[in-house]
Amino acid sequence: MGVMPSSDSDSPEFTRVDWDTEAGGRRRPAARTVGFALALAAIGALLTYDLLVAPAKTIPPLEWDVRKEGWLVLVSLVVLGRYVLVPLVADRERTARHVEAFLRRPAGVLALAYLAAFAVLGLFGPDAFEFTYAKPAHNLQPPVFASVNMSVTDGYSCVGPVVDGHCQGTWQYPLGTNYIGENVIEHFVSGIHVAFKAGVSAGVIMAVVAVVVGTTAGYYGGWVDDVLMRYVDVQQTVPAIVVYIVLATLYLGNVENISDGGLFAFVLVFGLLDWGGIARLVRGEAIQRRTAGYVRAARAAGASDLHVIRRHVVPNSTATIVTALTRRIPLIILAQVGLAYLELNRTRPVSLGGVIRFGLRERYMPWHAKWWTTLPAVLILVGLVVAFNVFGDTVRDVLDPREEVR
Amino acid sequence: MADPLLSVRDLHVRFDGDDGTVRAVDGVDFDVRTGETVCLVGESGSGKTVACESITRLISTESAEITGEVRFDGTDLTALSESALESYRGGRIGHVFQNPQDALDPVYTVGAQVVEAIRIHRDVSKSAARAEAIELLDRVGIGDVTERFDDYPHQFSGGMKQRAVVAMALACDPDILIADEPTTALDVTIQRQVLELLADLQEEREMALLFVTHDLGVVAEVADRVVVMYAGNVMETADVYELFDAPAHPYTRALLDCLPGRGEGFETIGGAIPDPTDPPAGCRFRPRCPHAIPECEGGDQPGFRPVGPADGEADGDGANETGPVEHRVSCVLYDDTHGVPSDLEGGR
Amino acid sequence: MSDDPLLIVRDLEKHYPVRSGLLRRVTGHVEAVDGVSFDVHEGETVGLVGESGSGKSTTATTMLGLEESTSGEIRFDGEPITAFDGDERERFRRRAQIVFQDPNSAFDPRLTVGESVAEPLAIHGLRDPDRRREVAVDALERVGLSAADADRYPREFSGGQKQRVALARALVLDPDLLVVDEPVSALDVSVQAEILSLLAELQTDLGLAMVLISHDLGVVRQVCDRVCVMYLGEIVERGPTDRLFDDPQHPYTEALLSSIPEPDPRGRDDADGTAPVELTGDVPDPSNPPSGCSFHPRCHRVVPPESFAFADGRFRRVLDLRLAVENGDLSPDEFDDSSAVRTEYGLVDELSDADAERVLTEAAEAVSAGELDAAADRLGAFDTVCERTDPALEPTAAGHHAACHRRGESVEGSSEAE
Repeated sequence: MGVMPSSDSDSPEFTRVDWDTEAGGRRRPAARTVGFALALAAIGALLTYDLLVAPAKTIPPLEWDVRKEGWLVLVSLVVLGRYVLVPLVADRERTARHVEAFLRRPAGVLALAYLAAFAVLGLFGPDAFEFTYAKPAHNLQPPVFASVNMSVTDGYSCVGPVVDGHCQGTWQYPLGTNYIGENVIEHFVSGIHVAFKAGVSAGVIMAVVAVVVGTTAGYYGGWVDDVLMRYVDVQQTVPAIVVYIVLATLYLGNVENISDGGLFAFVLVFGLLDWGGIARLVRGEAIQRRTAGYVRAARAAGASDLHVIRRHVVPNSTATIVTALTRRIPLIILAQVGLAYLELNRTRPVSLGGVIRFGLRERYMPWHAKWWTTLPAVLILVGLVVAFNVFGDTVRDVLDPREEVR
Repeated sequence: MADPLLSVRDLHVRFDGDDGTVRAVDGVDFDVRTGETVCLVGESGSGKTVACESITRLISTESAEITGEVRFDGTDLTALSESALESYRGGRIGHVFQNPQDALDPVYTVGAQVVEAIRIHRDVSKSAARAEAIELLDRVGIGDVTERFDDYPHQFSGGMKQRAVVAMALACDPDILIADEPTTALDVTIQRQVLELLADLQEEREMALLFVTHDLGVVAEVADRVVVMYAGNVMETADVYELFDAPAHPYTRALLDCLPGRGEGFETIGGAIPDPTDPPAGCRFRPRCPHAIPECEGGDQPGFRPVGPADGEADGDGANETGPVEHRVSCVLYDDTHGVPSDLEGGR
Repeated sequence: MSDDPLLIVRDLEKHYPVRSGLLRRVTGHVEAVDGVSFDVHEGETVGLVGESGSGKSTTATTMLGLEESTSGEIRFDGEPITAFDGDERERFRRRAQIVFQDPNSAFDPRLTVGESVAEPLAIHGLRDPDRRREVAVDALERVGLSAADADRYPREFSGGQKQRVALARALVLDPDLLVVDEPVSALDVSVQAEILSLLAELQTDLGLAMVLISHDLGVVRQVCDRVCVMYLGEIVERGPTDRLFDDPQHPYTEALLSSIPEPDPRGRDDADGTAPVELTGDVPDPSNPPSGCSFHPRCHRVVPPESFAFADGRFRRVLDLRLAVENGDLSPDEFDDSSAVRTEYGLVDELSDADAERVLTEAAEAVSAGELDAAADRLGAFDTVCERTDPALEPTAAGHHAACHRRGESVEGSSEAE
C-alpha cells in the first residue's frame, strides 16, 4: 500500500549526517545580505562625498543634485529592493503562483498598472521631461482637444487655431499652460515626483519601524510589549500632522528665504511618528504566530528568536503589512498635498498641492474657466487613493496565509 | 409504521472548489424516527457534516447547491424560503457543533446567550426566559448555575461550554437534535459525561438525535441505528447491534477493524479518501476495497440491497425504507448473483 | 548500550505565576507540574496520560528544556540538562525532539513540506541545500510519503499526512528521544491506527526512546510499554501498561479506563447494571488545588472517616453535600425541607451508622433552613484522610506504583463494613 515506511535495512539518510562536522556551521552571509550592505555603503560613500568634498556640485555620473530627501529616497529604494524585489525573484515559483492569482483579479491588475505608471513617472519623470521656463505670452493655453473663450481675458494670445473666438488647444501644450505660461504637464510630473518621494520614503521608514516595534512587542510580550504599546498609545494621541505643523511654524520657520523643512522634514516627521496603527496590526499577527505550531516546532528544534522572527513571523505577516501600508501611504501623500496647499510644506520641484493652489488663483480667469490647471491634479490623487486601496485588497486576497491553511 | 420524523432522500450537495465542483454529498438517503438516535459515521471528507448541515441549509459555503428532498414532519424543507427555515433552525431542529469554542460568542455571558436562544423563537419575557435558562443550564449539569449564569465563555471549561451549547440547542424543546461531532474536541472523560447527558435528555424529552461522528466507539455507546457514509454516499445502514455483529460492507468492516480493542494489532484501511471533485465510477470504495471484483467498476454507487435474514418484504430496491428491512448495504457482493465472500459472511 | 535510563526526571516542578491587576503583581501560582518523577529507557515508549489541565504537556516541554523548570532534576544520558553549555545544548536539541499537538497548525503555510522538514537541518548548520533536501526527502519516504510530496504545500495534505510530515521533521535530526504530544487526537479513528502503527514501527526501526502524551488511555494502550497517569500536575499511578490496565490501583485510572468507549453496543446494556465509574465534574482549577489527595472531590472511592461506617458509595454522596456546603455552591433558600436536600444528593435512605445518620439529619435540616454555616459545622465531622494528607507514589500490592490511600487494598472488591 506504500503507507508504511520501507523496512529495508539501509539506514535512513538522516542517521548519516555527521553532526560533529556539520554542527555549528553557520551559513556564509547570503548574497542578498552582502548586496544590501554594499548598496547602503555606496550610498553612504556618496553622501560623504557630497557633504565633504563637493557640497555644492552635482554627483557626476547621474548629474543629480541629490538633496536631503533624495538620500532618504535612495535608502528607501535599496530597502525595497532587498525586502520586496529580492524575495520575489529568489522565490520564483511562489512569485509565479501569486502573480497568476493576481492576474485573475482585473481590478487589482488595473490598480497595479496605475501605481506602476505613477512610480515610473515619479522616478524618471523629471529626467525624461525637458523642463521649460515660463512663457508669459503663452499663458492659459487650453489642453489639446479643449478650447477656451478668448473674450474672458484681455490681451490673450492663442498658440493654436482660433475658432469662433475660442482658442483651441495644441500638442505643444498637451495639458495646457497656467497663468504665467508654464507647461502644466511639467507641473504634474513634478507633483507626481514629489508625491512618489514622499510616499516611498515615508512608507519605507514607517514599515521598518512598525515591523520592528510590532514584531518585538508581539513576539516577546510581557513588559517589552507593555512599554512599546504604551508608547504607541502616547504617540497616537498626537497626530503626525500636528507635530509637523508645530515644528514647521515654530522651529523651521515660515519666513521668506527660510525653509519650512521641506519634504525632508515632512518625510521624517510622518515616517517616524505615523506608524503606530501598523505596528499594532503587526503585533497582533506576531502574537498569533508566536504560538503557532510551526514556531513552536522551530524553537523546539533549537532555532533562535531571530531565525523564527525572520523566517516565520514576519513573512507570514506580509499580507497585513502590505495592506496596512496601502491604506497609510495615500494618506501621507494627501497630507503632503494638503500642507503644500496651505504653504506649510514648500517643495522644489512643486508638489501637487502647490499646483492646485496656483491653479485656484483668480488671475485672468475664474478658476473653473481654467479647470485644466487643477482638475487633473485632483483626478491623479483620487486615482492614487483608489488604486492603493484596490491594490491592497488584492494583495491581501492573494497573500493571506490563512487562506492557504484552509 | 408511522412516517419518520426526518427523511432525507437523494440529497446532493455540490459547491465550487479550487479544482472544480466538489460533490460533497452525492445521493444520500436516511431517516430519523421520533425518539431514536441515528449515527452518521464516516471519516473526514465523507460528507457527513455537509449532509447534516444541508438539512436546514446551514451550510456555510455560499456556492453550495443543494438538491433532493428533506422532509421534516411532513414538510419539505428544501422548498421552504430562508425566513421560513429560520423558524425551524434552533426551533424544532436544534444543532450542536463540534467545537464549543466557536459556538459561543466570547463577548456575551453564557446565560445571556441561552436567554437569547430562547427569545429568538419564543415570545417570552426576559425574566421568564432567564428563569428557563437557569433551569436548562441546571439540567445540562452546570453546577451552581446562579453563580455561573453571568460568567463569560472563557471562564468555562471545554466540557462546560459544550453543556451550555447543548442547553442553547434545547432552548426551544426541539423534536430533533443534530449533533455534529459534539465530543471530538473533548477529553475522553468529559466525552463520556456529554454522551450520558445527551442520552438522558433524549429519553426524557423523547427527542430524536442525529449524531455525527467519525468514531465507531462512540457509535456503539449511543446509536440505535447507524448510517455509514463514505465519499458522499451511504455505504450501509443498519441497526447498531446488526452493524457491530455482522457488518456487511467491506468499508464498515475496515472501519470497525481500525477500532482499538477490536482488530488485532494495528488494522488500517490503507489508501485515502477519493478526490471529491473526481470520485471513482462505480462503488466509491472500490480503489481501497480488498474484496473488489470487476462488477464494482463503472456506473453509479450500487443501489441498496438487503442483508441477512430478510423476512419476506425485502424487495432490494431500497426505495421502500419503512419496511422491516433495516440492514441494507450498497455493495454488489450482496447481489443475488454473487456469492458473498466467505470472510465477509456472517458475524464475527 | 547501557541499562541506565536515557532520560531521568526527578521531582520536576513547574509553577506559573498568576498575575493580576494593573501592575501585574504575582498573586498566586499555578502548579502545572508538581513533583513528577519517571525514567525513559532507550527503545521503550512511556505514556503520559491525563485530562486537559493535568500538566502532561507542560511536563514534556519542561523536561526538554523548552521551558525552565521551577525545580527538580532532568538528566539526559546521565548529564543534567541545566548544566549543558552552548554546544552540548545544541546537541541535546538534536537528540531530543518533540512533535506538538495538532498537525493542522504545525506547518508554515508559506513553505513547502520539504522546506519545513529540512528547516531543523538548516537551524543546526547543515549548509548544503541539496544535502538538506536529500535528507528531508528520505525522511518523508520513511514516514510513508513520497519524494514528490516534498514540493507540495501543507494545505494539500490531510490531517494524517500532516502528522506524518510532522514526524519526518522531528526525525531529520536523528533524535534518540522523541516526545509526541497527542499525536492522534485531531485525527479520525481510522487514521489514528495508521499513525500509531507508524510510531511503533519507527520506534523499533530506529531504537527510539519515546514519550507519548494522550488523554486517551485507549491510544496509550496500543503503543506504550509503561504508563504514567497524571492528575493535576502529579503522577498518581505508574506502571507497565498491561498491569496498569488489568489491575488499576488508582481510582482515577479506573475512571479513565471506563471512559474509553466500548466498541461494542452490547457493552452499554451490561454497563447499566454494573454502573461504570462515572467521573463527575472537571479537573479543578490548578491555581487552587484541593487539599490532600487532589482527586478526592471527584473520587468514587474516597476513604470514609474512621469514626463512622458507610455502605459502599454512600460516603461519596455525603462528601458531595459537605463540599457543596463548604464551597458556597448552595444558596440558603434552595431547598424547601431536609428531604429535598437528601433527595438532591441521593441520600434518601437512612445511613446504616446511627451516629452518621444523626449528623446528616441535623445538617440537612440546617441546609433547608438556610443555616449553611451551621450545616458546614455539622458536616465537618465527616472528614477523610484523602483531604488531609497527600498520598505518596508508592509500590502497591499489584506491583506497580500508585498514589492513593487505598493502596494495597484490592480496588475491585473493596467495600466497607456495615
